[in-house]
Amino acid sequence: MFLHIPTKEVKPYELSLNTSHGTSLLKLACLCLYRKKQRGAKMKEMGLLLLFFSVACGKVTGLGPPGKPTLTNCRSPEKETFTCWWKPGPDGGLPTTYALYYLKDNSETVYECPDYHTAGRNSCFFNKNETSVWVNYNITVVATNKMGRTFSDPVDVDVAYIVQPHTPENVTVNVMEDEGWPFLRVSWESPHKADIRSGWITLVYELRSKMEGEEEWEEHFPGQQKTFNIFSVRSGSSYLVQVRCRPDHGFWSEWSPTTKTKVPKFFLGRSLWILILVFSILVVLILAWIIYMNCHSLKHSILPPVPGPKIKGFDHQRLKNGSYKDGLGALMIPEYPPSSSSNDDDLLVEYLEVFVTGEQDISMEEGKEIQDHYCKSESSTCDSDSGHGSCDSHTLLIDKCKETSKDELNSNCEDASEIIELEISQNNQDEKTLSYDGRPDTCNGRVKTWPSVFTPLPQYTLSAIPQKSSLEIVKQHCLSDTLFPPGSMSSNLVNQNESFGPSYWEFSLNSKQLPQIHSQSSKHLQAYSDINISKKDNEITTLFKSTQYVEVKNVNNKDMVLLQPVESGSQSHAEGCPHVHQGKDYSKVKGVNSDKMLLLESGVNVMGQETATCFCDKSETNHKHPPMQTVLPVQEEQKPFAANGYVDTATMFSVPM
Amino acid sequence: MMTFFKWHFIVQRGAWAVLLWPFLFTKCIPLDCQDCPSISQEKLLDRVIQHAELIYRVSEESCTLFEEMFVPFPLRLQRNQAGYACITKALPIPSSKSEIQQISDQWLLQSVLLLVQSWIEPLVYLQTTLDRYDDAPELLLNKTKWLSGKLLSLEQGVLVLITKVLNEGMVSTSYTEQAIFQYDMQLDMLESIIKDYTLFNCFKKDAHKIETFLKLLKCRQTDKYNCA
Repeated sequence: MFLHIPTKEVKPYELSLNTSHGTSLLKLACLCLYRKKQRGAKMKEMGLLLLFFSVACGKVTGLGPPGKPTLTNCRSPEKETFTCWWKPGPDGGLPTTYALYYLKDNSETVYECPDYHTAGRNSCFFNKNETSVWVNYNITVVATNKMGRTFSDPVDVDVAYIVQPHTPENVTVNVMEDEGWPFLRVSWESPHKADIRSGWITLVYELRSKMEGEEEWEEHFPGQQKTFNIFSVRSGSSYLVQVRCRPDHGFWSEWSPTTKTKVPKFFLGRSLWILILVFSILVVLILAWIIYMNCHSLKHSILPPVPGPKIKGFDHQRLKNGSYKDGLGALMIPEYPPSSSSNDDDLLVEYLEVFVTGEQDISMEEGKEIQDHYCKSESSTCDSDSGHGSCDSHTLLIDKCKETSKDELNSNCEDASEIIELEISQNNQDEKTLSYDGRPDTCNGRVKTWPSVFTPLPQYTLSAIPQKSSLEIVKQHCLSDTLFPPGSMSSNLVNQNESFGPSYWEFSLNSKQLPQIHSQSSKHLQAYSDINISKKDNEITTLFKSTQYVEVKNVNNKDMVLLQPVESGSQSHAEGCPHVHQGKDYSKVKGVNSDKMLLLESGVNVMGQETATCFCDKSETNHKHPPMQTVLPVQEEQKPFAANGYVDTATMFSVPM
Repeated sequence: MMTFFKWHFIVQRGAWAVLLWPFLFTKCIPLDCQDCPSISQEKLLDRVIQHAELIYRVSEESCTLFEEMFVPFPLRLQRNQAGYACITKALPIPSSKSEIQQISDQWLLQSVLLLVQSWIEPLVYLQTTLDRYDDAPELLLNKTKWLSGKLLSLEQGVLVLITKVLNEGMVSTSYTEQAIFQYDMQLDMLESIIKDYTLFNCFKKDAHKIETFLKLLKCRQTDKYNCA
């Protein structure tokens, strides 16, 4: 259809000179010129050709009417205004102006575009007053220059169908949490020009998101809402979000600028923090409970207990009992020192000195000194707490008194060790006097067997040994009152001629006190201590057949020890009475070596357990055997006798001569 | 997108059959009855709007179908040629936003009603003319038939709406202006095609108009709609 434009009208064919036409003219001109040249054309003809050529060239370079413009598109952002853009054709080398004309809804009136500048170059903007919806616009663009004008193809436009809104605005993304898990909440606003409030336009939105670094977008359709939640979001990664919109019948808008959000790492909601807190409190409580239960063991491992004092203090029990007579007695160690002022019978500790007549004289003082020394030594080794005041019997010698003597003792034992001191006067060669006092070394559980020292037989003494040899024996009794009633210990001198029952001979040698022991006796003693004593004498055999304890009754004026055999038939055992000693603890003298050392051997067996004498309770026991008092002179000049009390077979000691 | 809309269209067709069954009663029973089932104004307005949206979508599809089938290529861009103006051009209907914002709700509804009622007849005519074409596709015929029926339902709904909004009695306006529509069967094929094509276009436009008016009305009604 043709536009009736009230301007000079130019026929289309005049305006549509194109390049092809110009090119053909140029070719024709060149050909003519060439032929003319060949024919020797004149200058006048050359000029005409040149003129023709220039005209043709002018046509080729575009000096002519403009080319045909094209309407590209018309868009309305809010269905209230709209804009049309066109694309200009080739301008023909001359300044060209463009005009837009439109018709409304089949009317004959031609209107021109009211606004060429608002929307930019080559555009026409229709404002609100000029826009009618549901009206058909017929739009044409005209390009005009000096040479002519060109019309574009007309386009029908209905504003209702060309709506393309702007992008949504204010796209915000917030990271929120739902039960500990993060999600994104995207919210936006409609383009500000779109009138949604009145309902003129209804917009539908579309959202797309992707993780940073991914290729493909994930699309979502919120519909007409303006918020949307994106779940399945990973902690520690960033996300890109875009939104666009479209009217219910129209075109999609452009995507909004990318909004970037980062989900923080280790995103923990409040509920998750509470859970972690409760769990840690539980763990702490359990640890505290465990520590509390093992409090003591931990204390011991970290802070070991301070060891208590080793010093023995008072016996609190005795203090309570008031058994200490006086205050001073309480301060004193009970069995120190055993004084000799008391009665002989009352004395639990008796000191007996056996003097060897002749060469060696040992004074009583010395004995006493020795006694004291013994006592001291023994008391030092005594277990004062036992209450018995018993001393280690095996501490014959001073050297031994100081140490190791205890080793032979049982720790719990109350050693009632006696050191039998026999003084066998060398004068009584014929006398088979043997004074001895045997008292078993009794302990709580066992009766310590004292090493039995076999005294030299009377025969022996008679035969071999000169009379002078004598044995000094220092006997010490360290028996407390409690354990041994006063009368229990008595030393009896044994009659010379009586044969005493089997009993143990216990001798103690004091190295100090027996310097006079002759060396001769050692040999003899050794000979005798081969235990074949039974061959010698019936008395002696009987003496050595069975074991019997002998106790010292007293010392007669002849310096002879009266021995009294302890009844062996005591059946009853007093309380606290030690049990029958094991035979193995007794040791008998095997011999005396050249160094004047008494060799002991163990292995003597007690005859019977029943016959074990219990010295605890002398009064109750039956005396099966009449007290025999035999005194055996022991004639060994020098021989060091085995220690009484008890001698541990393991210990060898030498008595210095 | 198209598949989405088609699915939505099918669902809505079924939904409408369920939703608008009360309207069947309105034809037989006068509206000022007291035992009639009532519906709230908001819900009614929503349903009417949905109806109008559906009609517009179907009319757009029908127009496209017809254009592809029958209209020769050079004529496609020139929609209002040969003096065939839209039949509703003469109606006093606002055509710009500024005009629409100035008129009242009642007038808006009345305009909608006018539009709906004026298109009942031409749609019937379109059904008959399509039968004249030899190779009219079945889909086009069905759509045209569907449009005709839905328009009637829409008319009824708008009538009820007017009654509720205006609190007036039923306004029975059988607005039939035969003079507007010139029913001419003596046209040759090309002219008939052009005429039908014009009809489709005009109907599409008016359907869009109806939809827009109703949406405007909805956002005007109450703030709780929150059209913003």
